[in-house]
Amino acid sequence: MEKIPSTRQLASTILRFGLAVALVAAALSLTLLLQSVVSTAGFLFFYIAVVVTTWFAGRWPGGLAVVLSALAVAYYFTPPVHSFEVDRQSLPVFIEFAASSVVVGWFSSWRRQAEAELRYARDELQLRVAERTAELSQSNEQLLAEMAERKRAEEAYFEAQAEVARMTRMSAMGALAASISHEVNQPLAAVVTNADACMMWLSREPPNLEEARTAVECIAQQGTRASDVVQHIRAMFTKATPERAKVQLNDVIREVVTLVEGAALRNQVLLQTELAAELPATIGDRVQLEQVIVNLMLNGIEAMSNVADRPRRLVIRSQMRDTGDVLVAVEDLGVGIDPKNEKRIFDAFFTTKAQGMGMGLSISHSIVEAHGGRLWASRNRDYGVTMQFTLPVERENTL
Amino acid sequence: MKESESIVFVVDDDAAVRDSVQRLIASVGLRVLTYGSTREFLNGKRPEAPACLVLDVRLPDASGLELQRELAEANVHIPIIFITGHADVPMSVRAMKAGAVEFLTKPFRGQELLDAIQDALAKDRVAWAQRAQMAELRARYDSLTPREKEVLKLVASGLLNKQIGAELGTSELTVKTQRGRVMEKMGAESLADLVKMSEKLSSSSTTYK
Repeated sequence: MEKIPSTRQLASTILRFGLAVALVAAALSLTLLLQSVVSTAGFLFFYIAVVVTTWFAGRWPGGLAVVLSALAVAYYFTPPVHSFEVDRQSLPVFIEFAASSVVVGWFSSWRRQAEAELRYARDELQLRVAERTAELSQSNEQLLAEMAERKRAEEAYFEAQAEVARMTRMSAMGALAASISHEVNQPLAAVVTNADACMMWLSREPPNLEEARTAVECIAQQGTRASDVVQHIRAMFTKATPERAKVQLNDVIREVVTLVEGAALRNQVLLQTELAAELPATIGDRVQLEQVIVNLMLNGIEAMSNVADRPRRLVIRSQMRDTGDVLVAVEDLGVGIDPKNEKRIFDAFFTTKAQGMGMGLSISHSIVEAHGGRLWASRNRDYGVTMQFTLPVERENTL
Repeated sequence: MKESESIVFVVDDDAAVRDSVQRLIASVGLRVLTYGSTREFLNGKRPEAPACLVLDVRLPDASGLELQRELAEANVHIPIIFITGHADVPMSVRAMKAGAVEFLTKPFRGQELLDAIQDALAKDRVAWAQRAQMAELRARYDSLTPREKEVLKLVASGLLNKQIGAELGTSELTVKTQRGRVMEKMGAESLADLVKMSEKLSSSSTTYK
């Protein structure tokens, strides 16, 4: 197998040197032919032979062409003719020819090499460009992948954040429940134990009425204690005295809208505000009212999270009513309220959400009522629910 | 040993619960002593009698579980009945593993607590009797002279009088006399009885040689 390249190489070498011989022979014939027509033909054809040989066959065949041309010129065209000798008179002409053909050959070879280098450089450039393009498209793909990854990470982050918020709520609830159950269990334990002790004293022979009486007194006391605990917990949930200050409801709504924008965006819900141009101030606890509006808006957004056949749009509206109070309405295009749940939506711990606590609407309801207003839900004509509440406006001298 | 000699200790920080438990226990004629904290219980003087402890898990200074551990470390063996307002499983497992007799969740029925108390007291009475018996045996053993103790040890290991004599460098007759004295002082009725006593002593004490 190794012979094949060497044979081919040999053939190519023979061919290249053969080209030199053939071209010089052709140049000789043409010059001789020309000489028979005009007396002095010159050595043009020999130059051409040298140039062409060097160009196509390389430096060494070019050298051979130079030598063969010199020999041919010495033999045929310098006196004495038909001898390789060159006489003194024609020596300059011969040397000129030899030198010229060497120069011409060298020039041709130099051009040839320059050409080859140029081609090589061009090929190299093309290769580099191709490589660079490949690199660029690769890094482009990488960038796209990274962007997708980033988007995924962002989504995961939002999910994790929601989960943490839920866990915090649940563990706070858990701690609260444990504390409540302990507070209530203590008096209950005393009640049950006293009742059993009372039975024991009564069933003695003779019955000890004094001890039984004491036990029953304790039962009454501990029953009262348990009910006090329950009342205390209720008071904790419904803050008795909300702060009272002038509140511009439109400002509150605008602030809440910026708060829930993120949630709306994530759920692909369009937020729309239709606020009354001039709304009188109401009196109340700004933070609590914010809490109510946030609650209603988040409920609306959540109600639309699985809606796909219609736009997800949440409208929040404020208006002055003829009755002289202010109305705030939050209108969604969500799944609506099941008629059988309608009566219970404001009950504490009632929820239809998998992860809800059932406190949102219950707390909102008690806040609005503490402000002297009213909160209710009404079904929309086509889809969804409008949650709305009224608040009395500030009259002169109410502050 | 009469039942009325037994004592029930109650440790609960809630006065109402504490009093109701006391009233319940007193109704069956048992002596009750109540404490508002573990500290109060540890610092108080406890009468020497078969007893049990009704212990709330959640206490202000140190929890009931801590008191249980502290008592075990101080080598105070008293059966414990835990009562708790919010039992979680790991907590009750820990308490039971550490030797609690019962773990009751508030509110519990009176009979449950009384049954648990009777169980605990019965247990402690047995332990109490064993401890008393052991103390008696120990006192008898301590009344032996050093030479008599040696003889007891060798007799218990199954040697004959002659062999004991050779071991101690005395005559067989001397050994026989000493052996008789050991039997008498220990109150042993037979050789088998004596060997049993010796085993009991060696299993309960490391100082027995």
